[in-house]
This record gives sequence, C-alpha cells and structure tokens, in this order.
Amino acid sequence: MAVSIAKLREQLAASPIVSPYPHDLAVAIVCDTFRMASQKPPSQSEWAKLEQRVKNPLFREQVGMLAHVLVSSELRKKSVLYLTADRTPLARLQQFFEEVQPLTAEMVRSNAFRQEEFLRKWVAALGADIEGETAQESKSRLNALDYRQAVADLRKVEEARKQEAERRLKMLQEAQQKEAEARGWRE
Amino acid sequence: MTLGVAPRARIRRDTWTQRAHLPWALEVAAGLGRGAATVDEAVARAELEARLGGLRDALQGSPYYLRTLREAGLHPGDLQRLEDLRHFPALDRATLARHWEDVPTLPTASDECVVVKSSGTTGDPVNVLRDRRDCLLMWAVLRFFTERTGTVPPPRPRVVLLDALPGGLEYSVRLPLFHDGALHRVSVLRDDAVARLQRVRAAVVFSDPEGLRWLLAHPEVPAPRLVLTSAQHLPRALRDAWVHGRGVQVLNYYASTETGPLAWECLEDAGQGRFHVLTPDVWLEPDGDEVVVTRLRPSVLPLLRYRPGDTGTVQRDACACGFHGWTLTGFSGRGACAFHTPAGRAVDAWSLAWVFKHHPLRAFRLTQVDLERFTLELAGAPPEVVGPLCERLGAALRNLGWPSPRVEAREAELPPSAKPLPFHSRLPPPG
Repeated sequence: MAVSIAKLREQLAASPIVSPYPHDLAVAIVCDTFRMASQKPPSQSEWAKLEQRVKNPLFREQVGMLAHVLVSSELRKKSVLYLTADRTPLARLQQFFEEVQPLTAEMVRSNAFRQEEFLRKWVAALGADIEGETAQESKSRLNALDYRQAVADLRKVEEARKQEAERRLKMLQEAQQKEAEARGWRE
Repeated sequence: MTLGVAPRARIRRDTWTQRAHLPWALEVAAGLGRGAATVDEAVARAELEARLGGLRDALQGSPYYLRTLREAGLHPGDLQRLEDLRHFPALDRATLARHWEDVPTLPTASDECVVVKSSGTTGDPVNVLRDRRDCLLMWAVLRFFTERTGTVPPPRPRVVLLDALPGGLEYSVRLPLFHDGALHRVSVLRDDAVARLQRVRAAVVFSDPEGLRWLLAHPEVPAPRLVLTSAQHLPRALRDAWVHGRGVQVLNYYASTETGPLAWECLEDAGQGRFHVLTPDVWLEPDGDEVVVTRLRPSVLPLLRYRPGDTGTVQRDACACGFHGWTLTGFSGRGACAFHTPAGRAVDAWSLAWVFKHHPLRAFRLTQVDLERFTLELAGAPPEVVGPLCERLGAALRNLGWPSPRVEAREAELPPSAKPLPFHSRLPPPG
C-alpha cells in the first residue's frame, strides 16, 4: 500500500507534461480525487479563499502540477487509499500548498530534487508511508529536500558572508589608511 | 640567450610554516593509499560520500554557486550521494575564467591565499585562487606516489623541478613537508645546469618530456630515484629509456592548475594509457566520455562538476598493478605537437604554452610554417598585446634553439572546440 517515490518518478518521466493544465481543469482533477475517496471536495469559494490565504503567485501553477502528477502516475490511486476522514480536504490542501510555496511548475517538471520534494510533500499531506523507508527516514529526506527552508537558510548565509566580506574590506582599508598616515612620518 | 623572458616569481621563503601542515599531508597520503586499496566499491563510495558534507558547506560559501544553484532550483543540501551530482550544473573552464572571483569561498586566512594562472592552453588563462593547502598538496601527493612506486627517499631528499621552459626561472627552498628535504628549480637553459644537478643529487625529479630527454642525454648527472611528469603525451620510448635503460621509475600524472592532481598512469608496461584516479580527494564521473571533476578535498575553491575540457571514460576496475578504484581510459587531453629547430631537434610545442598565459587572449594558434617562421593567429586580442607577445615568443623560441625565429601575428577566427589545439606544425614529418 505504501507509496513508491521511485515508481512515481518513473511514471512521470514516461508522461511528460506537454502544456500547462487550465486552472479549472486542474481544480476539477484534484476535487475528483477527493470524491473518489468519498470525501466532499472544497467548494469554488473555498478554493478562492485557499488561494487568498496562501498568498502565493505560484499557487495556480502548483495546482496544475498537482493535477498532472495525480493523473500521470499511480499517485491518484494511492491518494484515494490514504484520504481518511480524520482531516478535511481543505486542511490537507492548505498544508500542502504552504509547504511547496517556492516550487515552480518548471522545477517540478525538470528538477529531480524538486519533483521528489513535491511528491513527498503531497504524500506527507496524505499521511501516507513511503515504500522502503521508516517514518523517520522519510522525515529526514523531506527535511534535506526542503527548498523553502534551504532558501531561507541560504539567504542568511549569504547575508553573513557579505557582512564578513565588508568587515574584512573595512579592516584592509583601515590598515592601508594607517600605513599611509605612518608613511608621512617615516619619510 | 634571453633569460628575462619569465616574469619575476614570488617565491615563498617561510617554508618552516609548512611543518604545521605535516599531519594533514600524512593524512592525505594515507587517504590516497586507502583509496587505491579499497576492494569493495560500496565502501569506497561511502568514503567519498562522507566528504560531500564538506563540499555542501563550501558551496554555501561560494557566491557563484549560490547564485547558480538558486537559478536552477537547487540547493547544496540536495547533494547527498554521488548519483545526485548528475543533476547539478557543470562548470566549464571559460565560466570559471569569467567568475574566478565569485567561485571561491571566503578564505579563513586570506593572507595565505595566492592567485595563480592556469597554463593558458585555451588562450584564455584562468585565474585560480589557492589556499595554503592547495599550494602544498603536491608534496602530500608526492608522499603517496613514492609509497606507490616503492621509492625510499634518502634522508633530507632533494627534489628538483627540472625546467625546460624558455623562461629560465630558478630558485631553491626548503621542503619540510617532504621528509625535511629541499626543492630546487633548475633550468636546463643555464650554462651551469649540469654542475648544479651534480651538486644537488636529486632523489626526485619533476620535469616535462623535453627536460627528461635533456637529463637522459647527461648521464654524468646522478640518476634520481623517481621521475615524475605531468605530460599528457609521454612518449613510450622516453619512458622506456628511463625505466628499462636507467632503472628509474617514471610516474606520469594527470593534473590541472584548477583541480590539482587527478590521476596517475599505471606503472605496469601493459597499463599504459590507464590513469588511476586519486580518490577520495577527487571524484571523476564514470561512464561519460568527458572528464568531469568534483573535488572532495576541502579548498577555498569548491569545484563541483568541473570540466577541464579533456575527454576520457572512467570506470571502476581492479588493475593488475594492485590498484582498486576508478580508472580513466581513452584519455585525450592536449593534442601533441612537436616543432623542429633548424638543427633538426624536436621540441614539444607545449613548452611555449607558458608564454601565452601572461597575455589576455581569447584564443590563439601558433603554427610552424618553415624552420624559422611561425604564424600566430589571434582571436580578439587587444592590439597593444600583440607586439609584446610576439617579442616574448621570439625570445622564448631563441632560448629553445631557434637562432632567428620570425613570428607573424594576424587576427583570425578560430573554431571553438572542447579542448583547443593551439599548436600546429606544417613541416613534413621527419624521415
């Protein structure tokens, strides 16, 4: 029953996305997935609210990519098995779209790591197991892949590097200034 | 003879500061020894992957890589296994040349770093930032090479860089990292070269084929215990003359200024053309037909999937020489080319490559059209560069045995290629 990430990726590689899905079609595919699990999908107004809440210009292309990975692999069939009544569809979708926040459709399409991250984050929103991994291993892998966290960390690292470079430049300039001032006395 | 062809070199004299790096050098040599003897591929890969953490940290400190990875939707944390490397962007020589200031991390000790220029074989030399350990690495690797060849260095061994280049640069410094020895750079162009070599009694000699031929022709110079060369085209006859004629091991290694040493040619007669990779310091991607290097040894200059422009295929194997690991075959780096002096002597044209790195050029091709005449084709060279370059080239040719060489420069469109072939001869082959 567990989800095989490797198998999903093979299936997606075999059915590459040719053109972006229209938003309404993508929403319909996601909604149908919930219906297949006998769950009431979010209404049109709830989708609109969700879009407002996540405040992400990439939201629509992410919905399109979710629809694509659902219909182009066995992910939809697996998702239906894990869509239990303990969480509402809206809660799952909100978790998922918040977590994939910086991922563009192009990244999910062409970047092996971001595609894996996208798939794993949907699997995490489902609460599903991943084939051949313990829950802890899956969590560690997701943390290693987390692009949102990595971008935030890298921004901090870059800022620290800039500050250090500026500090060194200032020290160098001060040393040169001191040397220039001292030279007047020696000559 | 004009021995002022070489620009002044700044030679580091505080060699006692090498001592602090001795434990590191011993560990490097031991690591290479373990790498060459690890039979189980899974164990060897685990050793390499254990080094990816250091590379990830270095990538985070490199403005170039941060920018490039972000543009590709990647981050250093994505690099967990060797297989992950293929999803990362490669870095070619021209890009490194353009971004050489942005690729390095902030060095912990800036004053220990130096900028060196690569040999300029593309006509577009690359500035390479090196930290202290990058500068000292060759001595650590030499320890490994001596162990590999069964060479036992004498107490306080003398190492000679035998220089057949037209610059005539010479110096002597202590070499604490190599058994408390000393390093002498000796130019074969100097009148007292033989006398100096007789005094020095080198245990180890580094040289190019030109220098090795010169040394063979001077049997009065005591034979070293080990000869090293990084000539990518070491003539078989020359190697045999040293190994079977003089009984001296010849170790031919593959290195570039940007990456440091990468591999060494199998010492067995039957293993010629097979270059054993210096894991775990470097990783050469297997199964392609181009050399792609990821440096796993810490350095101020992180190199992720660097393409030096050489072709060859890397595969794991167990060699008859006792080596276990990855071996580069079908290696073709620089195209071999010999120029001929009016006296009939063949000179490796690559010994002139060094002249070009001192001039900002996009691409060049030097062709010998007759015994004293050369055509220098230049692509996009600033006009003010052409005169000094021809002058320097003429002086270098005179030093190498052309009494009155004529160099005619002209602007030309040179076709791009993976590895340029900047030297060409139109003389009919001898014989």
